[in-house]
Amino acid sequence: MKREWYPLFLHLSRRVVVLLLTVLAGVYLTILIANMGGRVDDLRLMQIRGEIAESVREDAAFREMASSERNALIEQRVALEVERLGLDRPFIVRSFGYLQRAMLLDLGRAEQMHSDSGSRSVRAIITERLPATLLLFGTANLLLFAISVWLALRLSRRYGSLLDRSVVGLAPTSAAPAWFYGMFLILLFAFIAPVLPPGGMVATPPPEGRLAWLGSLLQHMALPLMAILLSQLFVSIYAWRTYFLIHAGEDYVEMARAKGLPERLIERRYILRPALPPILTSLLLMLISLWSGSIILEQVFNWPGLGTLLFAAIGMNDTPVVIGSVVIFAYLLAATVLLLDLAYAALDPRVRIGGAAR
Amino acid sequence: MLLSVGLLSAGGTTAALAEPFEGSQGGALVDEVVFTRVQDAGQIPRLIDGGSHHLFAHGSTSVALLRQLRDSPRAGYDLSWGTATDLRLNTAGPILSDGRLDPVHAPEIREALNWLIDRHHIADELYGGLAVPRLLPIGNAFPDYARLAPVVRELEQYYRYDPARARAAIETGMRRLGAERRGATWYHAGEPVRIIAIIRTETERRRLGDYVADRLAAEGFVVERIYRNVAESSRIWLGTDPLDGAWNLFLGAWMATRIVRDQADNLSFYYTRRGRPDSWWQAFDPDPEFDALAARLENRDYADWEERQRLMARGLAMALKESTNVWTVGQLNVWPRAANVALAVDLAGGVAGSALWPYTLRFTDRPGGRVVVGSPSLLTAPWNPVAGSQWIYDQMITRALNDPLLLPDPYTGLFWPQRIATAEVTVEQGAPVVRNHDWLALDFAERIPVADDAWIDWDAKAERFITVAERYPDGLQARSRVRITFEADFWQRRWHDGSPLSPADLLLPMILTFDRGDEASPLLDPAHRPALDAFRHHFRGWRIVSEQPLVVEVYSDQIHPDAETMVAARAPSLLPWHLIALAIEAEREGSLAFSSNKADRIGAEWLSLASGPSLPVLRRQLVRAQAEGIVPYPRALAPRLASDEVATRYDALDRWQRERGHFYVGNGPFMLHRVHPVEGSVVLRRNPAHPDPAQRWLRFTAPAIPEPLLQGPLLVERGEAATFTLSVTHDGTPYPHSAIERIDWLLFDSHYRLVAHGSAVPQTDGQWRIDLAAEQLAALGTGANTLEVAVTSHAVALPAFAAHHFATVLE
Repeated sequence: MKREWYPLFLHLSRRVVVLLLTVLAGVYLTILIANMGGRVDDLRLMQIRGEIAESVREDAAFREMASSERNALIEQRVALEVERLGLDRPFIVRSFGYLQRAMLLDLGRAEQMHSDSGSRSVRAIITERLPATLLLFGTANLLLFAISVWLALRLSRRYGSLLDRSVVGLAPTSAAPAWFYGMFLILLFAFIAPVLPPGGMVATPPPEGRLAWLGSLLQHMALPLMAILLSQLFVSIYAWRTYFLIHAGEDYVEMARAKGLPERLIERRYILRPALPPILTSLLLMLISLWSGSIILEQVFNWPGLGTLLFAAIGMNDTPVVIGSVVIFAYLLAATVLLLDLAYAALDPRVRIGGAAR
Repeated sequence: MLLSVGLLSAGGTTAALAEPFEGSQGGALVDEVVFTRVQDAGQIPRLIDGGSHHLFAHGSTSVALLRQLRDSPRAGYDLSWGTATDLRLNTAGPILSDGRLDPVHAPEIREALNWLIDRHHIADELYGGLAVPRLLPIGNAFPDYARLAPVVRELEQYYRYDPARARAAIETGMRRLGAERRGATWYHAGEPVRIIAIIRTETERRRLGDYVADRLAAEGFVVERIYRNVAESSRIWLGTDPLDGAWNLFLGAWMATRIVRDQADNLSFYYTRRGRPDSWWQAFDPDPEFDALAARLENRDYADWEERQRLMARGLAMALKESTNVWTVGQLNVWPRAANVALAVDLAGGVAGSALWPYTLRFTDRPGGRVVVGSPSLLTAPWNPVAGSQWIYDQMITRALNDPLLLPDPYTGLFWPQRIATAEVTVEQGAPVVRNHDWLALDFAERIPVADDAWIDWDAKAERFITVAERYPDGLQARSRVRITFEADFWQRRWHDGSPLSPADLLLPMILTFDRGDEASPLLDPAHRPALDAFRHHFRGWRIVSEQPLVVEVYSDQIHPDAETMVAARAPSLLPWHLIALAIEAEREGSLAFSSNKADRIGAEWLSLASGPSLPVLRRQLVRAQAEGIVPYPRALAPRLASDEVATRYDALDRWQRERGHFYVGNGPFMLHRVHPVEGSVVLRRNPAHPDPAQRWLRFTAPAIPEPLLQGPLLVERGEAATFTLSVTHDGTPYPHSAIERIDWLLFDSHYRLVAHGSAVPQTDGQWRIDLAAEQLAALGTGANTLEVAVTSHAVALPAFAAHHFATVLE
C-alpha cells in the first residue's frame, strides 16, 4: 500500500512546489507591474502633495496663515501621509513585504480604497464584492455551460441539420464581447422599450420584502445575463459540438454502433466518458475565472462586482487590493490545476502517475 | 471678452426667483431623497427622460451632454463656475541644465502669450461655448471680479488677442536672450529653440494644448508635444526640477468648490515663491515690487478698502507682466436635472457643492415626493462628523443630515443665519472689515481684551478647560471678538433620535479639538496636530456668556474682510455627545479611530456611523454605555447634563439604531433612513421635527443675474454731449435699485484705450442714465467707440456687462 501511495505523494509534492513557485513568480510580477517598478511611488507622491496643498488652500481655517506657515503645514501633512503609506522606504524593500504577506494570504489593508460599507481591510473589500460577481457570472457561466454542452451533444447527433447550420453560422457573433451586446441591450430594453432596468443590482432604493428584493435582483440580472449568453453561447455550442463530433467518429464508437448499442448508452459511455477530462477542465477553469469578474461588463451594467473593484483599484494605484485580487486568483488557479491532475488520474484510465504504470 | 457672461443662465424650465410654494411642512420640501451610484455620465439624459432619476451630482463640461439636455423636453440643467484653465510656464533658466534655452524664462515672452492666444476662439470653438475667456488670476464669477470691473475690463482690452503685438514682444524677448531668427525659426547657440509642452489628454484640454502649440510653432519655436494624463503630467511638471527642463509649458487647471470672496492672496499664490513649497513655485523670480505688493495683499496689510482696491488694481496689472500662469478660460460645469426639479445651485460648487440643496430641492409641479439623485460615487469613505469622509459626494449627502448655525448664500458666498439670532463682531481699529447684511453688528475697538474666564486650552490629564486668566495672568489681547446669540428656543431643538440639544453637545467638539492633539490623551491623533497648531495660532479663547438664551463669545486674531464670514468661521459646532461617546470609547480600546490616518496607524477600522464593521463595535459600546452610564470627559460634561439625560439619550440612540440599522444621528432637514452599501443607494427621509418652514430658503432658487441693455445715440458730433440709457432687468422685471451694488461705465476709443469711466445715475427702478460730457467725448477723437457698463448686484457675485457702439464724427 505504502509503495502505491509513495509515487503519488512524490508527484503531488513536486507539483505543489512547482505551483507555489509559479504563484510566487506571478504575484511578484504583479507587484512589480502594479507599481510600475516603483514609478507609482512618484505618481502617488505628486498626488499626495497636490491634494494636500489644495485641501489646505481650500480650508478657510488656514487662510489667515502666513504662506511660510501654510507651506510648513503642507509639508507636515505630506510627511504624515508618506509615513502612513510607507513611501519613505524604498520600493524594493516594500515589494518583498508585499510578497511575503501575499504568499501567507495576509491581505492586509488597502491604501486608498474602502469597502462599500467602509472597511479598509482588503479581505472585507474583496469579500463584499464577491457575492455579486459569483451570482451574475456563476449563473451566466453555469447556464452557458449546461446549455452549450447539452445542445452540442444534440447537434452532434444531427450534423448538417438546419439547427446545426444555424449555430455554425451564428458562431462568429461571439467575436463581439459581452459588454458590446450589453450596450445595445440597454438601449433596446431599458430606454427604447423600457421593460428592464439599465443597470445596478436591485431597484433604487432596494425593495423592503425578501421576495420583492429577489424579484428585483432577477430583473436586474436579466440584461447582463442576456449579454453574456449572446456573446458566448454560439461559439461555445460550436466548439463542444465539434469536439463531440470528433469523439463520435472514433473507431470504438463506430464499433459500439455496429454492435447495436442504444444511442444514449453510446453517448454516455463512449462519447461523454472519454470527453470528461476536457469538460471538467473547462468547467473548473470557468468557475475560477469568475473570480476576476468582468471589468467592462460590470462597468456597463453598474454591477457592484469584483471587476469594477479591480478597475477602481488599478485607477487608484491601490497596490494591496490589486495584489489581494491576484493572489487569491493565483492560489485558486494553482489549486485547480492540482485538482485536475488528480481528477485526470481518476477519470482517464490512460493517465498514470510516475512509475506506477510500469 | 466678458460680454457673454451675462447671457448664461440655467437651462430647461427656469424657476422663478422666489416662486410661491404651497406647503406647510417643516424642513425639507420633498419627502424622500434616494442617492444612487451612476458612473456612466452618458446615460444621464436617458435616465432623466425615462423618469427614473431626477438630479445628478455630476458636474460635466461635455458640450454633447449639454446639447442632449437642451434637446430633451423632460430635462433641465444648472450651470456653475469654478474651474479655470491656465498655461503654466517654466521660469527657470534662461539656460537649462541640458544647455537648452528656456524662452519662457523671459517675462516679456510670457506676457506676449496673452496676446498670442485668442481666448474667444478657445471658449467658443475649443470648449464649444461652455467656457468664457479669462485673463486674470481672479475668478470671473467671484466678488473681486465684480468689484474691480473697470480695472479688469481695461486690462482685458489691453491684452486682447493681438498676434502682431505678441510677435513683436517675442522678438524683443528672444533677442534679449541671445537668440536669432533664421528664416521662420528661432535659434540659440546654433540649435533651434525647443519648447516642450505637456498637454493633458482630456478632449478639450488636448485641443487647447494643440492650439497653443500651433501658435507657438507659428512664432518660430520647435514645439515638442507630450500628451499625458493627470497623474503622469504632474510627475513631470510638479515632480521634476524646473532647471532640468523636462517641460517648458504645461496646460493645467485650478478648481474652486466655493465662492471665494477675497482673492487678494491669489497674487502671492500664483506668482511668488510663497505659493507652495513645490519646485515650480520655488523657481519664480518675481519683480521685487510686485512680490512686496502681493505679500501686502496676502497679509491684508492695507489701511482701508480703497487702498486694498488700489493695490489689487496695480497687482493685477503687474501679474500680467509676470505671467507665470497665462489664464485661458473659465469653464462652466453643467449639472443635469429633470425639468420639473429645482434647487439652489452654488455658483462655484454647483449641485454637489451646494449648502442649500437640502432646503430647496423640490418638484416644481407637485409638493413632496421622492427625488432620485445619481452620484458618480457613494459612500466613498467612512462617514463620521469628527474626521470622516471629505469627499464631495459624501459631503453632499451628510450636509442634508446636519443643520449648521449659518448657511452660505449660493450666489454671493456671504453667510446667513440659520440657528442664530444675531451676532456682534468687534475688530481692532483700522482692520479692513465690512458688514454686508443687517442681521449682525460690526464695531471697531482700540483694544480687545480677552475675558479672564474664557477658555483657551484643555488639560487632557485633568480633563478640564484652562482659562485665559490661568494661562495669561497679565491678560491677553485679541484682534477680533465675535459674540453670537443663538435663537431663543435653541435648546428645544432635537437630534434625529429625539434627544434635545444640551450644553454638553456644544462643549464636546471643542474638547475634542484640543484632546485629539494632546500627547497626554489616548485620543492623540498625529494627523490632527498640524490643524490644531494652525488653530492655536489664531485662537484666543471662547466662553459661554449665557446659557438662556445661549450666547457664545469667541476671540481670535483671525480677520476676514466680511464680518459675516468671521461669524461663520467662529461659530461653534455641535455634536451629539452620547453618540460620540461610543466612538471615543471605541478609539480608546483601539477598535475604531476617528481619522483615516490614525486608523492605519493602530490597525483599526476608520469610524463609520453609517455602515460596515464600525456598527457592531458601536453597538457593543452602546450596550456597555447603557449599563455603565458612560459620560465622556465626565469632569467637564457631567455637570452640564440633566438628571436623566444619560439614560434617555442612550435609550433614544438604541431605538434609532434598531429601527434604521445605523448610528448616524444628525439634526438636519433630512434623516438617514437606510444605507445599502453594496447595492449602491442611500435613502434620506424628511425630518418632520425640523423647526423651520420648508419655504424658508426658497428665495435662493435661481441666481438673479442682472440683464443690462444699454442704448444711446449711434452718432455723436464733435462738441456735443450725449446721454445713454441703461435698463437692468431680471426675467423681464426691473432690477430693484436696492439690489444693485454699483454700475460702472467705461468709455473706450477706437483703439480700445480707456478714455473715461464713471458711475451710472439711477432713475426709476431698473432704469439708469449715463451722461457723457462734450469734453469726454472730444477725447475720443473721431471713429468707432465703445461704451461699456459693468453691473454689480448685491444678490449675485457674477457681474453683468453690456456694450454700446457709437461713432464720433466731425461737425
